Amino acid sequence: MPQKHPLMSDLSRLGGLTRRRFLQSSAAAVAGVSMANCRQNITGPQTGGSGDASTLHIYTWANYTDDDLIAAFTERTGIKVIVDIFDSNEIMLTKMQAGGGSAYSIIYPSDYMVSEMVAEGMLTALDPSQLQGMENLKAKWANPAYDPNNAHSVPFCWGTTGLLYNRDVTPSSPTDWNFLWDNQEALSNRITMLDDMRETLGVALKTLGYSYNTNDPAQIEAAYAKLRELQPHIAAFKTNGFENEILTGDLSVSMAYSSDAIALMEESDRLDYVIPTSGTSLWTDTMAIPSTAPNVDAAYQWISFLLEPEIAKTAVERLLFATANQAAFDLLPDDLRNNASLYPPDEVLAQSEGIQPIDTASNDLFDRFWTEITSA
Amino acid sequence: MADSSLRPSNNSNWWSQLSDKLAPRRWLEPVLLLGPAGLWLFLLLVIPTLLILEISLVPGLRLGQAAGGYGLGNYLQILQPVYLRVIGRSLAFALGSTLLCLGLGFPVAYWLALMSPKRWRNLLLVAFILPLWTSSLLRAYAWIAILRPSGVLNTFFQGLGLPAQNWLNTPTAVFIGLTYSFLPYMVLILYASLEKLDTRLLEAAADLGANPQQQFWKITVPQTFPGIAAGCLLVFIAALGDFVVPTLLGGASSMNISRLIYNQFLGPTRAWGFGSALSMVLIFAVSLAIALLLKYGDRSTVTETSQ
Repeated sequence: MPQKHPLMSDLSRLGGLTRRRFLQSSAAAVAGVSMANCRQNITGPQTGGSGDASTLHIYTWANYTDDDLIAAFTERTGIKVIVDIFDSNEIMLTKMQAGGGSAYSIIYPSDYMVSEMVAEGMLTALDPSQLQGMENLKAKWANPAYDPNNAHSVPFCWGTTGLLYNRDVTPSSPTDWNFLWDNQEALSNRITMLDDMRETLGVALKTLGYSYNTNDPAQIEAAYAKLRELQPHIAAFKTNGFENEILTGDLSVSMAYSSDAIALMEESDRLDYVIPTSGTSLWTDTMAIPSTAPNVDAAYQWISFLLEPEIAKTAVERLLFATANQAAFDLLPDDLRNNASLYPPDEVLAQSEGIQPIDTASNDLFDRFWTEITSA
Repeated sequence: MADSSLRPSNNSNWWSQLSDKLAPRRWLEPVLLLGPAGLWLFLLLVIPTLLILEISLVPGLRLGQAAGGYGLGNYLQILQPVYLRVIGRSLAFALGSTLLCLGLGFPVAYWLALMSPKRWRNLLLVAFILPLWTSSLLRAYAWIAILRPSGVLNTFFQGLGLPAQNWLNTPTAVFIGLTYSFLPYMVLILYASLEKLDTRLLEAAADLGANPQQQFWKITVPQTFPGIAAGCLLVFIAALGDFVVPTLLGGASSMNISRLIYNQFLGPTRAWGFGSALSMVLIFAVSLAIALLLKYGDRSTVTETSQ
C-alpha cells in the first residue's frame, strides 16, 4: 500500500506525480460531494456502463504500474491503458460510490476493502475460466480470509507494517513496538504513525498482546488508553509525507508500510526498517473488477497478464513490491528473494495477522477512540 | 420594405415602434448582466449548500448504507466534548492569528500609509502583496523547511547561541503559518483605511496638548476602526476555515474543524451526515462573521483591496 495518505500530505514530495495525485484526490472529493444528491449512489451499487473496448482504465496505487509494463500490455493486446492513482482505500471507495469511477475496469483495493466492497456488491464475481495463471499464486493466497477462494479479487502484492528509523537520531535500534513507549521522552515530537485507524490502534492492541481484529470492547479501550499515553509525543499521523523529514533526521522513527520503507531505504543508508518481534499486520493489495466496469474483457486480460511469471518478475524488479506470485518469486534474483524487509522470514509472519473486518459495534468503538486520539 | 425606407415620414414611426419593442430593456438589462453570475452562484453555491444541509439532517448517514429518516442527531453529536474541543481549538487558532496579524500589521500599514516615501509607496505595497502570488500550499511547505528541527530557523538560532526549537507539528507552527498567510490582507485593508486618515485632526490634537499616545487612541484608532474591524473579520474568517496550514504544520496536536470535516468525508469513518453538519456549523459561523463585517466593517476598504 504505498503512498497512502490524506489529501495534502502527498504534496510533500514535489515530484512529477504528486501534483497530479493531489488534483485527483480533490477531484474525487468534489465528485463525491456533488454526486451526493443521487441517493441511489449513496445506498447502492450502480449497474455497469458501456465503454470503449480498446481502452482500459485502471485505478491503482502509485508505483504499482509503470510505462514499461503498460507498453508491454498494449503491445500484446492492442488495448490502450490509462492509469489513475489513488492514495487511500477510502478515497478510492468514495469515488467509486459517488459514481466518479464508472470508467474504471480495474481497481486495486486492499484486503479489508475487498471484504467491504464485496459486502456492498461493488465487485464483480470473477469468472475463473477467463483468468489464466491463478495457479501461480503462493499457496498462502489461494483462499484468503478477506475474500474466500479469491472469488472477487486477485492478490497482487503484499507487505508488512513496521518501524522505519534513522540510525543517526534514534537512541538505539528498535526491535518491537514498545520501543516507542519506552523511549517516548527521548523521541518526543520525532515520531510519526500511520494515519490509519485500524493499523495504528492495532499497534497498541498488539503491544498489549491482543489481536488486531479483536471485538472485545475492554481490549479496544485498553488499546486506546495505551495509545493515548504516546499521543502527546507523536509529531503527526501521516501515511506519507514523512519521507523528507526522516531522511534529514528531523524525525527519528516512522511507522510505515514495508513498500514505502524499502523505497526510502534505497535513498539513504542511514535508514533501517524493522518488523516488530511481537508481530505486525500483513496487508495484501489486490486487483479487482468493479461491478460498474465497462470493459470487462480487457480487465480479465490485464489480470492474466500480471499473473504471468515473467511479466510479474520484471515488474517486481523495477517497482520493488513483494509479489504474491510464487512462480514470479522463483524467477527473482537472490538479492531480492533474500531481502528480509521485502520477504520477512516465516517466524515473523507466524506472529502477524491480516486486518479483517470487525463487527459494527467494534468498528464504531474504533471510530470513536480514533477520533479522540486524533482530536486530542 | 424598400418602399417604406425611402419615405422619411415613416421614419419616426419606425423608431417609436422599435423603442416600444425594446421597452423590455428595462428588465432585460439587469437579467443579462446578473444572469450568468447568478446562475453560476445558484448552481455551484446555493444548490450544493442546500444539499449539504439536507445530508446534515440525516443522522448516521454513511456511504454505502441505507439512509434513515431526517433528524437532528448529527447536530447533537457536535456537542460531544471531543468535538467541542476541536471547535474551541479552531476558534483559538483563528482569534490568535487575527490578533497577531493586527499587532504585526498595524505598524506596517501605519508606516506605509503615513510615513513611507511617497514615490516608493506603490512599490512597497506590491512587495507586500508579492508572496500572495505563490500558492498557499507552497508557502506552507516553505514553512516546513524553516521550522523543522534541522531547518533554517534553528540554524539561525544556533548561530545566535539560542536553544534549538522543535516547533513543527505543534500549535505554535499553526499560529506562525496562519499569521504569515493572512498578514498581507490585514496590511492592505489597514493601509486603505489609514491612507484616508485626516492628519489635520492629529495636528489639531497636538496643538491642544494631546500627547502622541492620546492622539493615537483618541484620533487614529476611532477613525480607522472600520478598517480594523474589516481586517480582523476577514482574517478571522479565512483562518477559521483554513485547511492547508493546520494539516501541514500542525501535526497530531492541532485537529481543527476543517480537518475534522475532511476526515468525515475521506477518512475511515466516512460519516457524511456528521461531516455535513460540521460544514453547516462552519458556514453559519462564517456567515455570522460576514454579517458583522457588513455591519461594522469599512466596506469600501474591503472591496478596494479585494479587487
